[in-house]
Parts: sequence; structure tokens; C-alpha cells
Amino acid sequence: MSDWGFVAAGWGVVLGGLGLYAVTLLRRLASARAALADATPAAGAVGEPARDTE
Amino acid sequence: MRSRVLGLVALLVLVIAAVNALFVVPSDLNQGDAQRLMYVHVPSAWLAYLSFGVTALAGLGYLWKRDLRLDAVAVSAAEIGVMFTAFAIWAGMMWGQPVWGVFWQWEDPRLTTTALLLALYVGYLLFRRLTDDPHRRAARAAVVGLVSAVDIPIVHFSVEWWRGLHQTATFLSPDTILNPPAPVPFRIALMSMIAAFTLVWAWLMIRRYQLARADMELEERARRSRVAAARHVAIAATPAEEAGR
Amino acid sequence: MRADLAIAWAIARKDALSEVRGRQAVGSTLFFAALVLLLFGFALGPDSRRLAEAAPGLLWLAIVFGGLLTVARLHQLETEDGALDELARYPIERRAIYVGKAVAGGAAMLVLGAVLLPVGAILYGLDLVAAGLALPLTLLLGAIGFAAAGTFYAGVTVRMRAREVMLPLLMLPVVAPLLLAGVKATGAALAGDPFGELAAWLQLLFAFDLVMLVAGAAGYGYLLEE
Repeated sequence: MSDWGFVAAGWGVVLGGLGLYAVTLLRRLASARAALADATPAAGAVGEPARDTE
Repeated sequence: MRSRVLGLVALLVLVIAAVNALFVVPSDLNQGDAQRLMYVHVPSAWLAYLSFGVTALAGLGYLWKRDLRLDAVAVSAAEIGVMFTAFAIWAGMMWGQPVWGVFWQWEDPRLTTTALLLALYVGYLLFRRLTDDPHRRAARAAVVGLVSAVDIPIVHFSVEWWRGLHQTATFLSPDTILNPPAPVPFRIALMSMIAAFTLVWAWLMIRRYQLARADMELEERARRSRVAAARHVAIAATPAEEAGR
Repeated sequence: MRADLAIAWAIARKDALSEVRGRQAVGSTLFFAALVLLLFGFALGPDSRRLAEAAPGLLWLAIVFGGLLTVARLHQLETEDGALDELARYPIERRAIYVGKAVAGGAAMLVLGAVLLPVGAILYGLDLVAAGLALPLTLLLGAIGFAAAGTFYAGVTVRMRAREVMLPLLMLPVVAPLLLAGVKATGAALAGDPFGELAAWLQLLFAFDLVMLVAGAAGYGYLLEE
């Protein structure tokens, strides 16, 4: 394998991995927030939970 | 909204720095194009260690303040850190093969230390999964994270001495990777990649922290509804005593 | 301070007595570690020169494996009858508990090493006498360091699911420098220290011991607070 093959493998995995992680992270965040919006507060809960501001 | 801006800025800087590092900057005299792997290896390693420090400090903060938000920071940094550690090792291996002729070199202190860092991270994350109570988990994780953190300098020295006290001046010297070339375009390329990666790291940390807070809230609600359900069952089972109160 | 020392000593004695009474468990661990040494011979032999060169590494690996079982066992005693919870109820220095257990652990590790050294000498053709005092000193420093880290991690994993695997999984990366330095020091001692590196490795072991004792004692306190 030529040098550029290694460079491609190295960079590809790193940048691709970053992108993949970012995308899945955003998805996980979206589904967690959806679950929070759906769920009715449990009996005896005190007020609304604090929302994270962006 | 600010994190969205940060994300876009990070992406922009990353694209510019990457294009520069891959296509604009000239290749190294000795190592050729393989040297471009340094531009992902070094930033990844830097963020691996930064994340580890954040995990340890956040854990320390939790032990002091008992605020679970600090634990959320710790777990976020650990998850992101394990990823960058893996990247650092992978890029190091891809760099090593063309330059050394082997994927792995025991005499490279940074590679071996980073491998141990990966093991420590993975252990930390697996360990966290085995405790359900949030505060107990946070305390245990904090303590484990701190002991791991104080171990890292010892690992660093021991691996350095391992190589240094056993001098073999061979062609396979890791110095080719450990002492990167100093010409200005190279240094600019490296610095810009480090900056880009750090911005990406910051954005990932914010998002991962938000996820951790959301998970905390979901866990707490699940716990509260379990408690409430148990109370209902208890009340339904003893109507006479309740009425008598 | 004196109360702490008294507590630590009491716990160390209690653990040591349990070890002596539970001879079967101790003996099994020693036998297991010796068996590991034997098996290494099958894995790497039959060339005796290669085995002799690898001997320090093999010895220390056997010590580590035996040590994992040992520190796990020392914490098992408490959980079985809830005694650890009892100890934790008292606002006494949890650090004292840690120190006591670490001392007992160190003693157990010393016994382990003392048994394995002659076995290793026989199997791999080593001249222990020529190595002089450096060898017992290396063993002592290694025993202290392993016990310091091991007592902490055993305390961490004591009531967890999957603790049999979590203890080694957490400990092994952390004791890598101890293994490295122990092996190097042992090799140097056996060879008569040709490069003059023995002192450096012993210093590293000492530093490891110090850091682990301090960090372990500090961390252990938070564990029992649950």
C-alpha cells in the first residue's frame, strides 16, 4: 500500500468517525428530548424540570 | 443557538485546516506524505488527554459538591475521550507502518501510554454501567477516574525510561514521530488542526452534556414513577389502616 | 493519629489471621501461581536460554495473577458477613481501614513472591543468590504497590455485578508501570546490573507505591461512605 493509502485510512477513519459520532449523538439527544416531552410528570413531582438552554 | 454557531464554526475551521494539511502543505523530506498523519494523530492525542483531565477534575468536583451535573460532565468527557484515544492510536498505527515498517512499536512511549489510556477509559465506562444508583455511581466513578489520572504520569515516566534506559540507536527510532519537523508551514498546519479539533471537541462536549442531563432527568422520572407506583400498591393493600389515620 | 494506627493494626491482624485460618484458599492461590509459571514454560520453552531471558517477565506475571486472586479474597471476607458495612458505620478513619487491609495484602503478596521466586529459579535456571538484596527489595516494593492499588480496587468492586472481571479489568492498566519496573529491576538484579539502571527502576517502584498509597487511601474513604 502506498503512503497515500495509509494517509487515507488514517484520516478517513478519524474524520469519518467524528462525523458518525456527531450524527448519532444528535440523534440520541433528539430521542431523549422527545422522551422527556412525551412523559407525563410522575405524581408528586415538583414543577417542571429545568430545560437546558442552547 | 450558540452551540449551533460553534458547531458551524468548528466545521468550517476543520475543513480549511484539513484541506491545508492534506493538499497544501508540502510533504516531509524524510517521511513523505505519510507525515500528514501527524496532523490527525497529535490533535487526537491532545484531546484524549484533555478529556481525561476533564473527567478526573469533574469527578473531583462531584466528590466536593455532590452535584450530579458534574458527573454528567465526567461521563461526557469520558465517552468523547475514548473516541479520540482510539483515533490517536489508529492514526499512530497508520503513521507507523510506512515510517517504521511496523504497525506497532513498543519503543514509542506515546503509543504505549495512549494504549494504556484507552484501557483506563474503557474500564471507567464499563465500570459506570454496573451501578444504577446515580449518586453511588458518580462517587465510585469519580474515585476510579482520579486514581487512573494519577497513574498516568507514572505510566508516562516508566514507559519513557523503558525506552531511554535501553538505548537502541536503530533506524526504527521513534524519534521520527516524536520530534516532528519544525518548518513554519508544518507548524501552522499542526496548530490549525489542533485548533479545529479542539473546537469540534467543545461542540461535542456541549451536546454530549445535554444528552447526559436529559438522561439524568429520564432516570429520575423513571425512579419517581416507580416510587409512586410502589406507594399506590402499598396504600391499596392496607385500606383499613390508612382510613384509620 | 494513634487511634488510626491502632485501628489499622487491628484490621491488618484480623485479615492476617483470616489468611492463616483460611489456609486452603491461600494455598490454592499459591499453587495456582506456581502452575502459571509452569505453564509459561510449556508456552515458551523448551529453549532454556529464551526462558531465562523471559524469566523476570514471567515471574511478575505470575505474581500479578496470584495477586489479583489475593486482593479479591481479602475483601471477600468482609462482604460475606456484612462486616464491611459495620466498619463503615463508625466515623473512624476509613483511611485506617484501607491501611490495615493494604498491610495485610502486602504481607500476602510477599508470601506469594517468596514462594514464586524459588519455583521460578528452579524452572528457569536462575541464580537468586548472585542477585543479592536487590531481589527481595524489588519484591517488597512491588508487593506494597500491588497491595496498595489492589486494596483500593477490591474495595471499589466489592459489591458489584461482574466483580470477578471488573477487578482485573480496572487494575491491570494501572499496575502496568509496576509490572514494567518490577521486571526491569529483577532482570537487572539477576544480571548484576550491567547498565546501572537498577536504582532508577527501584525509584520508580517507590514512587508508584507512594502515589498509590496516598490515592488509594483518599479514594477508599469515599467508597465506604455509600
